[in-house]
Amino acid sequence: MGAPLLEARGITRSYGSFEALAPVDLTFARGERVALTGPNGAGKTTMLTILAGVQAPSAGTLQWAGGSPAKVGWVPQRPALYPRLTTRENLRLFAGLEGSDDPPATADELIRRADLGDFADRRAGALSTGTMQRLNLAIALAGAPSLLLLDEPTGTLSPDQRVRLWQWLADLVRSEDMALVFSTQSIEEAARHADRVLVLARGRLVHDGPAGALDEESFMALLGDEA
Amino acid sequence: MKALRAGRLLFGKDLRVLGRSRGLVAVLIGYPIVIAILLAIALSGGDRRPSIAFVNLDAGARTVQVGEERLSVDDYADRLEDDVDLVRLTPAQADEALADGRVSAVLTVPEGFITDLQSGLKPPVLQLATNPRSPIEAQAIERNLESAVFRLNQALATAYVTQVLNLVDLIQEGGTVGIFGRSGTLLGLEESERNLAQVQKALIADGKPALAKRVAALRDYITGVGGNLELAKPAAQAIASPIRLEVREGPPGREPLSALGIAGALVVGIGLVGVLLAAALLSAEREDHVLSRLGRGLAGAGTIIWQKALLAAVACTIVGYVLLGVVALTTSITIGRWLLWLPALLLAGLASGAFGLLVGALARETRTALLAGLMLALPLAVIALIPGNDIAYWVSAFAGFGPAARIFQGLLVDPEVTSSTYVGMGILAVVALVYGVAARVALGRRMHA
Repeated sequence: MGAPLLEARGITRSYGSFEALAPVDLTFARGERVALTGPNGAGKTTMLTILAGVQAPSAGTLQWAGGSPAKVGWVPQRPALYPRLTTRENLRLFAGLEGSDDPPATADELIRRADLGDFADRRAGALSTGTMQRLNLAIALAGAPSLLLLDEPTGTLSPDQRVRLWQWLADLVRSEDMALVFSTQSIEEAARHADRVLVLARGRLVHDGPAGALDEESFMALLGDEA
Repeated sequence: MKALRAGRLLFGKDLRVLGRSRGLVAVLIGYPIVIAILLAIALSGGDRRPSIAFVNLDAGARTVQVGEERLSVDDYADRLEDDVDLVRLTPAQADEALADGRVSAVLTVPEGFITDLQSGLKPPVLQLATNPRSPIEAQAIERNLESAVFRLNQALATAYVTQVLNLVDLIQEGGTVGIFGRSGTLLGLEESERNLAQVQKALIADGKPALAKRVAALRDYITGVGGNLELAKPAAQAIASPIRLEVREGPPGREPLSALGIAGALVVGIGLVGVLLAAALLSAEREDHVLSRLGRGLAGAGTIIWQKALLAAVACTIVGYVLLGVVALTTSITIGRWLLWLPALLLAGLASGAFGLLVGALARETRTALLAGLMLALPLAVIALIPGNDIAYWVSAFAGFGPAARIFQGLLVDPEVTSSTYVGMGILAVVALVYGVAARVALGRRMHA
């Protein structure tokens, strides 16, 4: 595991009387791939959106290594992009919003890295699901993040698209020295593509351990009544 | 600085998206313009002759001759038909027709109308009943009939003065009298003076100098009266027509539109463009799922709100100038104060845009936002066009339409720009600010929910 990146302490989130997240403590390090899994309503997306800064926790703190927040790339479950703009225009826009000094150059670099050259001038709304997800991910990389958060990134992809996406993500983690945190409902996917697996159930962290230490049987046992 | 950059980038993005969404632009901008033009035509009551029920209760009325003016109730009705379409009905039929909306008003000639006209002791009165449910049309009818009554009064005044001048001549020269229904023979001042001269001579010849002296004084008085009556003639002619208005028709093929019609077209056009465009642009951000991405420090709710409000204001200003240009080019109406229209249109667009942004921030999807925007904006814009009604003004002021309508009418017809124009602009700025802040709060909650 690489250098520590983020430490989350006592993170909770409540919506009225409903407690979506009980106090959760987590740490993330550069170069690691972390899967966040659990049944529907376990609090996976809530946890990710808090880490992404989309919403604030009801309580708890996020402590970043070095004191100042690192850049975070956020890949929501549904592609967050402008369907009437082309792939290139979307990337230029978000590169500009991320503060890039040269948005066109940044967009061209992202197109190359995401292998979107054939679709650069095609409207995003006309892209296939897999290509659109690659663009969704490329947009998240526009700010050169140290922590990349993905909410169920393969949920709508075909098997071959999933394979290509996971390969790209593994390369990214290696080459960019970033931390990758993704949510998934598949324990198999979590075990295969993560170094560490976190299991949430009813808003509580019930497991935090190496990916190899968790199989389907132990996963079901962790969920207990939830299963 | 970062917010400014983000706002500029999103502004450019919105323009590009609009440029590629021709169907949406046609709905958001084309539709309000079409509605505005139709409304302008409908409200330009100057070209349409209203239908008015005519009830004559002065059944036994005679004809009155005033100089060369011969008047009866039928004559009066014939003259009014230059301005309106009269439908002769009984009182009951007229009330029914007014209630059914088959006529716009009921004009009643009360009993004794011609008698009053003939006597000259009190002015004859016409009674006009309008439909309170059609205040705009009622106002137009009142204007039409006031104009018709004014022209008839002027003709009658001229006839009366002519008669008075004839009477003055009769008093001076003598002859047969025929005025206000009376007849007879007058001796006349000149003949009276000549007769008295003969009497004076006869008295002197009969040795009655004292009596002759008293007759001489009477002759001096008659001569003086005759001179003064001569002076009354030009004064009476001036009273008959103190000011004359010369009316000329405009060039053929150019239909006059009323200021109300133009202001109405602008309010509806700008109101719908501002509300629908802003609501659609904001709700589209949510439908594209980008709010969560933008809300992570790339562009805050405040930035998104001001950027879209500005875009709506610019679009409204362009639409406003296009409508004004169409009016200036296709009608005989002169549109002035082109520079002053700029802040008026911008502020009206800003207010309606901010209102639309609140709708867009509250609605869950674009279709809902558009429907809600249309359902709210259209009635408020129409309410703003009800003239002279303070309640309607303040109700429609909720979306800035009332103040905008008054500003537009003022810029079109007021001879000078008054402080009320600037007060109206201030109200629009406040409306824009209030809705902008409300939309920002609502959007902020959505972004971070």
